Amino acid sequence: MNTDTAAWVAERFGWETTDPELGPEVPAEQLVALARALKEEGDFRYLCYCVAAHYPAEEPPPPPEVPEGEEAPEPVPGKPDRVLVTYRVRRLGAGTTTFGFHLWVPTDGTCPSLAGIWAGADWQEREQYDLVGVRFEGHPDLRRIMMDEDWPGHPLRRDYAIDTRHHPWR
Amino acid sequence: MAVARPAPAVPAPTTRRVGGLDVPVSLIRPGWANPYLDLDDYDAESDVMALNLGPQHPSTHGVLRVKLYMDGEICVKAVPYLGYLHRGVEKLCEKLTYANVTPIVDKNDYVSPMMNELAINMTFEKLMGCEPPPRAQVMRTITAELQRVASHLLWIGTFCLDIGGAIGGGASAFMHTFRERELILEVFEELTGCRFHYNHHTVGGQRHDIPAGWDVLVKKTLDEIEGRIHEYEDMLTENTVFRARTIGVGVIDPVLAMECGVSGPILRASGGDHDLRRDAPYAAYDRVEINVPVRTEGDIYARYQVRLAELRESIRIVRCLIDDIPPGPICALKAVKLPGAVKPPPGFAYTAIESPRGELGTFVIAGPGKRGRGDPSPYRCKIRPPSYHVLSLLPYIAPGENLSDIIAILGSLDPIMGEADR
Repeated sequence: MNTDTAAWVAERFGWETTDPELGPEVPAEQLVALARALKEEGDFRYLCYCVAAHYPAEEPPPPPEVPEGEEAPEPVPGKPDRVLVTYRVRRLGAGTTTFGFHLWVPTDGTCPSLAGIWAGADWQEREQYDLVGVRFEGHPDLRRIMMDEDWPGHPLRRDYAIDTRHHPWR
Repeated sequence: MAVARPAPAVPAPTTRRVGGLDVPVSLIRPGWANPYLDLDDYDAESDVMALNLGPQHPSTHGVLRVKLYMDGEICVKAVPYLGYLHRGVEKLCEKLTYANVTPIVDKNDYVSPMMNELAINMTFEKLMGCEPPPRAQVMRTITAELQRVASHLLWIGTFCLDIGGAIGGGASAFMHTFRERELILEVFEELTGCRFHYNHHTVGGQRHDIPAGWDVLVKKTLDEIEGRIHEYEDMLTENTVFRARTIGVGVIDPVLAMECGVSGPILRASGGDHDLRRDAPYAAYDRVEINVPVRTEGDIYARYQVRLAELRESIRIVRCLIDDIPPGPICALKAVKLPGAVKPPPGFAYTAIESPRGELGTFVIAGPGKRGRGDPSPYRCKIRPPSYHVLSLLPYIAPGENLSDIIAILGSLDPIMGEADR
């Protein structure tokens, strides 16, 4: 993680980095602007990876029992069904540095595609679409790449059971 | 009258700085082939014919299918289809414990299993915050470099089979390199008990210590292999037919390679001086000086030369390290008796190593587990295989080439389908 780049991004876009591995959280509408700035101004020409991870919906925890006369605490909200999409870019050569950034999208929602910025993002996003089921908006050729065209479901979702039987392969 | 002096001629720059590297200007092309070409718009003299290459074609190195749209003998559009070897490794990793993942990822890049084990265990160690002892670090470097020798030897052999008939069937070079590769496998068998799929690395270090006399065996093997490299040179480097098939064929633009996420010998053959062993040292690579062979031609012959130079370089690195392996323990953790005992705290980690094909990285998300004390298996485990990225180059570089050249180009990229499909 390059602190210079993190500082540059924080200064320019105003996002703070919470996890040094994940990098700043980016609003979806500014993802393409950040990617273009990283590539053209930061000289990050190499996209290491684009990874999506599914986080299923979480029920809100049951409210704690409150003795009479005391005020009930603020209820903890549950979490919706969502997907974490993380990216990492690299500047090559001596003293190579990487920079990561991420965003959260709803599982049924879309994520802006970066295929127009880095040519390699095309296949990366196809793989994540195939396995996790994130739809990348603006992708030129969003097809499945690992599984068959008519495969039901997305295998890397957390609610996709590993022992599901599928005709006619199993 | 003062004569106006002509301004001193400024030589045109031969390199341009892109992405942190000085890449040769001669290889940078203004435009790339369009991989999304709509064939209805293509104005062909004859009909465009769809030709299926693979998935069982011997030159596809496993089961890769490429749909080639040919205008006569020239390719117009290439569409690779992957997934024939998809085994759901990433899904399996979510169900297995950290200690059980290593033998599964062995099978990803099945010509260099040591690299896969090293890559994934380095990420787990980063999550755990544990540092392997110096003896394990040096052993990792030695096994990684021996594996690189074996992998490059296999590439030279299979590449000669790919361009086949032109160099007398190519089988003689194949037999020679496989004979030497077998020696490396015997060295590994002595160390781990397996010729392949070693399960040698573990979280925090190694599982097998060096047996007595192993260093002598390694040195003897290296001497034997180094003494035979000139045989491949005699067969290939000055071979007129080999040169005609490879020089100037399949030139790859370094900027395109970078954008597709391609590193390793392919980028280095196109003038990109990037090597993670030198630029971001891991294991014990900071103890040795590493010379990175770079060529500026960008064609198949340059990739052959880079790999041949790396062969010699790897042998030199092993020789530097084999004589002073530090004593001490080989694993930072206690021997794992219960596979579920490895529980890293929740977090994210990415590490990358220089595999024989380029940057092999692993991104792991460790979950909080049931009581927030860590989960015995990863929440999400993503393997970033170099072969997958190398194959994404194909739709850009295949158009405009002959069919026979596409076979040679595909062979020179050295894709391993086991890791591309996972």
